[in-house]
Amino acid sequence: MIDFTTPSSNSDRFFDRLPHWLRPRTVELPGKGYLRMVELVVLVLVGLFLAVATVNDVGRGVNIGKRLKVDMNTWRVYTHHDYKNIGVDQTLLGTGTSKEVVCGNDSPGPPKERVQICLMVEGPTRAGLREVTGGWYLGAFVQEDNFEDRYGCFGKAGAKGLCPR
Amino acid sequence: MSVAAHTEAASPVPVGRLSLLRRVPLLASLLGLLMVAATAEIVLDGAVGHSPLIPESPDISSWLTGIGERLGFRVFLIALLVSSVAYAGIVAASRLRGRGGISGRWAIGLVGLLHLIVFVGPVLLSTDVFSYIAYARMGVEHGVNPYLNGPQAIHFDPVFRYVGPDWRKAASAYGPLYTLISYPFAPLGLVGALWAMKVEALLASAGTLALVWRCAELRGFDPVRALLIVGANPLYFVYGLGGAHNDLVMMLAMMGAVALTLGAEGTSTRREGSAAALIVAGAMIKATVGTLLPFMIVARRRLAPIVGAVVSFVVVALAGYAVFGIHGVNIVAALNRDASFVSSDSFADEIAHLLGKPGVFPIDHDLLKVALVLIVLHLLWRTWRGYDWVAASGWALLAISVTSTWVLAWYILWPLPLAAICKDRRLLAATLFVQGLFVVHQMVPLLVPGG
Repeated sequence: MIDFTTPSSNSDRFFDRLPHWLRPRTVELPGKGYLRMVELVVLVLVGLFLAVATVNDVGRGVNIGKRLKVDMNTWRVYTHHDYKNIGVDQTLLGTGTSKEVVCGNDSPGPPKERVQICLMVEGPTRAGLREVTGGWYLGAFVQEDNFEDRYGCFGKAGAKGLCPR
Repeated sequence: MSVAAHTEAASPVPVGRLSLLRRVPLLASLLGLLMVAATAEIVLDGAVGHSPLIPESPDISSWLTGIGERLGFRVFLIALLVSSVAYAGIVAASRLRGRGGISGRWAIGLVGLLHLIVFVGPVLLSTDVFSYIAYARMGVEHGVNPYLNGPQAIHFDPVFRYVGPDWRKAASAYGPLYTLISYPFAPLGLVGALWAMKVEALLASAGTLALVWRCAELRGFDPVRALLIVGANPLYFVYGLGGAHNDLVMMLAMMGAVALTLGAEGTSTRREGSAAALIVAGAMIKATVGTLLPFMIVARRRLAPIVGAVVSFVVVALAGYAVFGIHGVNIVAALNRDASFVSSDSFADEIAHLLGKPGVFPIDHDLLKVALVLIVLHLLWRTWRGYDWVAASGWALLAISVTSTWVLAWYILWPLPLAAICKDRRLLAATLFVQGLFVVHQMVPLLVPGG
């Protein structure tokens, strides 16, 4: 049987001068289990918090996914092009604003190898579509939507100065 | 005495429980079959390529094409979900071992088959292995220091196009020992190096699993259950082995150190010194494993682990310094760089969204670091007062992965081998719970209509 009142090994003699509650041990004291219970409560609470955060994030992701599908549908209806390769930028008009920029070719061809039409899409979904409030064009073979590469801004994009003069 | 014989000798079992036990092999076989089928689906579909889940890669698995179809999110996530549920069932069934329950041979067969299927297939879900090859080729083929330059410096090399776009300018964040281990692969050519990396990951995994088995035996736990907990874990073999991640090599060092220490219960200072040296060597592969060292030292309170750690550090650091210069041994800088990244799968990001914030802010990084320090201090205090140091190390690794803003599937594998062999069963429950949340978080594309 383990003697819980003595230090754990000969090498622990060095720690004999420490108060009883500070001395190292090789085996835990059985105790009344208060510490384990407190740890368990903290673990359960942290676990619940993480679970709620995860489920919330899944719900948020699903909502974003649905909105992106609406955005792409809006672009197709607006441009009358039923193209597959359409890009949606969620950060250009502000992260977490649900205002997005949707870009795609204005004529058939490999992605970004034709002139691209970019639409600013925002607001609630009505009949599977969201409101187009403005937009601009990008030249063929432009890979990134940079300010200097835009032209022909219309709607809010023109008013906000999102194209170079 | 064999494990089967050991369990055969157990006390009499009630008739109802006996009938349940008789069904365990059948249930486990069905669940195992589901896992094999789901894994084969991922690999065969992945071999077709042209999938966002399969990184662009040199042709290593075209011989598997013709059976599967392009791997989409939906099929992958369903396969992952099926594997996870089957895994949970097998782990639960493994508790009912004995009297015809899950045998060691069956468990080894299942884990071996799952590993083999993933091994012969394409690289899954990550471009990291191409970064490893790029760093090796930078040093060996081009004379470029991988700790001062990113793969961009060898943009003309055939491996460059396969390196992830986010990592092309990033210098190596891995330890100098790992880079030195990968150097012999560089002259093998791109395909040769890729296979060498896959073999390395397979052997590291096999070694880790063998050590998990050995440690479970040393601690009086069921080694078959421990093997299944780690080796049949879908995140372990699909993400870890599928991506040929060096985390498996790190875990091999980790479990080697734990096995040495457990084998040295009592007075073997040489084994304890070797264990500490192995942890430091592991930290020179990937720094995370260094987390175990303070817990081992606090638990043992002997000079041998400290001496072993110092000697190992001096030897590996000198070798690293000789080959790579001071940047090769400055692991802290690399850790600080990685700690500033944010991944969408991190709990920090999820909590930020829950609190209505768009993402993680710099203050959040500081708060998380404070939380991690407090947790580690608590664990060190508990270890000082006799708590199982293996469990404390596992909790610390789990805390690192939960508080980190940069979480990837293979990071939440770190505590798993320790959880499988530690005395505190809460760690296993917590680790599997966190992994379960990770899997749930992947399911978004499955829930978006037509996604």
